[in-house]
Amino acid sequence: MTANGLIIDFENAGLAYGDAPETLSDVTLQLREGEFRFLTGPSGAGKTSLLKMMYLAHRPTRGRFSLFGEDATNAPREALPALRRRIGVVFQEFRLLDHLTAFENVALPMKVAGINQNQYREDVSELLNWVGLGHRMGAKPPTLSGGEQQRVALARALVSKPDLILADEPTGNVDPAMSERIMKLFVELNKLGAAVIVATHNLRLVQTLGKPVLRISDGRVSRAPGAGGAS
Amino acid sequence: MNRPQISRPEVTETESLSDGEVHEWPKPTLFARLRREPLLPEAGAGGAPLTAVIAVISFLAVLAMASVLVINQSASKWTSELRSEITVQIKGADAAEIAAGASAALRVLEGTDGVIEATLQDEAETAALLEPWLGRGNVQAFLNIPALIEVKVTPGLRRDLDLLRNRLAAASPGATLDDHAVWHNRLATAARSGQALAFAVFLLVMAAACAISIFAARAGLAANHDIVSVLHLVGATDDFIAAEVQRRFFVLGFRGAAAGLAAALIALALAAAAFRTGIGADAFLPQFSVGGWLILWLFAVPIVTCLVTALTARLTVLKTLRQQY
Ligand SMILES: Nc1ncnc2c1ncn2[C@@H]1O[C@H](COP(=O)(O)OP(=O)(O)OP(=O)(O)O)[C@@H](O)[C@H]1O
Ligand SMILES: [Mg+2]
Repeated sequence: MTANGLIIDFENAGLAYGDAPETLSDVTLQLREGEFRFLTGPSGAGKTSLLKMMYLAHRPTRGRFSLFGEDATNAPREALPALRRRIGVVFQEFRLLDHLTAFENVALPMKVAGINQNQYREDVSELLNWVGLGHRMGAKPPTLSGGEQQRVALARALVSKPDLILADEPTGNVDPAMSERIMKLFVELNKLGAAVIVATHNLRLVQTLGKPVLRISDGRVSRAPGAGGAS
Repeated sequence: MNRPQISRPEVTETESLSDGEVHEWPKPTLFARLRREPLLPEAGAGGAPLTAVIAVISFLAVLAMASVLVINQSASKWTSELRSEITVQIKGADAAEIAAGASAALRVLEGTDGVIEATLQDEAETAALLEPWLGRGNVQAFLNIPALIEVKVTPGLRRDLDLLRNRLAAASPGATLDDHAVWHNRLATAARSGQALAFAVFLLVMAAACAISIFAARAGLAANHDIVSVLHLVGATDDFIAAEVQRRFFVLGFRGAAAGLAAALIALALAAAAFRTGIGADAFLPQFSVGGWLILWLFAVPIVTCLVTALTARLTVLKTLRQQY
């Protein structure tokens, strides 16, 4: 199905919230297997909105959108969970479940997929250790710092080894050193095969990593000149 | 669906974000696995009020079902007792004529197949029956009060009384046979309508359980809107979420229903005791009791209640979710 290798394929897509004018217009954008993109633009430009269409939180109000080679514009509701399970999302506002422990939060994608805990317990532990939260596995999100919550969210996005990783401002709450390590992590994951899109304001890091950049302004998505170009 | 051939990233091969020691998540004990944290903490729009409402509903449902059973059991016992009894009444101008008619009727009865027992009520007994209407002491003044013969008959004879009726009329012109048919029919009708009423109450109470469960499931989903959308976004199906809510409602419903059953059983036991020591002593009324296997029906009521609650919640969730993206 993805014979053309397209993970994400927008064709003239638009997104409008309610009766408001379109937040995003004429989005024509493709992401292939193994590609990496940064997504930049001023606050309120529509970065999160674009990602929301990608992780199937909003359907485009206009145009066409395919995900993993399947038409997602008119996909029936029943088809969505299977698509979503192939995506790992780090939400801008984390969206952890406050009544669950860090461990249970990270395990959530496995649990809703109906996988037995015995099969993912070690993975989850390893991942939490790996983001430096091995000692806080039993803590609930409200007792964690912003940066710690962000790392739990990161672990949750990665636990199912997704084909597509979407990260919305994943370094917003961590110190510069941790930011750099997280960004390098995405680059590493990308080398291992996952397609990655990272929305960020951190232009310094974007520049250091030298990956292609998509820029949103005035509701339109364009390739930023200079930085990276085609991958 | 063909999945693209992508080598999935193995996160742990890359440089760790941590520099500390490695920790392990403990294996859950059996107890912890049974008592796992619900994914939707408020799925019942607050557990205690819902449990209380279900308890009341289950209490009423058990009482309604108990009424159905008591009426059913008592009515069938009562009517079968009535059915085996017929009464022969002998009227006459004076006591001598009545006595002669009575002994003629008794001879006929004794010579009839299917008569188990025929007892002539003695005058004092008959007088005692009439006392409430005529006043104590006055009874003897009415010397021509009819004689009554209580007859126990087999079901076979009970089905066809015409021959006996004719033979009695021939032997004793003043004799009439009363098979209590009118009384029997009235009793059966009353029992049937009483039962229908009790069953209607039971159904209404179940409808209330459905309504409260729809209401609570909707409120629960609204209160958990954020959590539900996170569950969706990490790949949960509607069925998964509905099953979570259903499980939660089943547990709450079970607690409430069990409490309601316990309260109803206590209430029934108290009512039965009061009945036995009070008016229950009257031999005319049958014993009100729900015994033996029938009590199992009462235990089925709370199970039905919490199944109804849980299934309604599931369907409500599925319907509500389908209206969203
Ligand atoms: N659910 C919504 N309903 C209505 N309008 C919305 C909604 N979400 C976003 N918007 C509007 O759409 C525009 C784009 O928002 P979006 O969150 O995509 O921006 P962003 O680029 O992610 O900004 P930031 O860098 O601050 O995160 C904003 O003007 C915002 O007010
Ligand atoms: Mg945003």
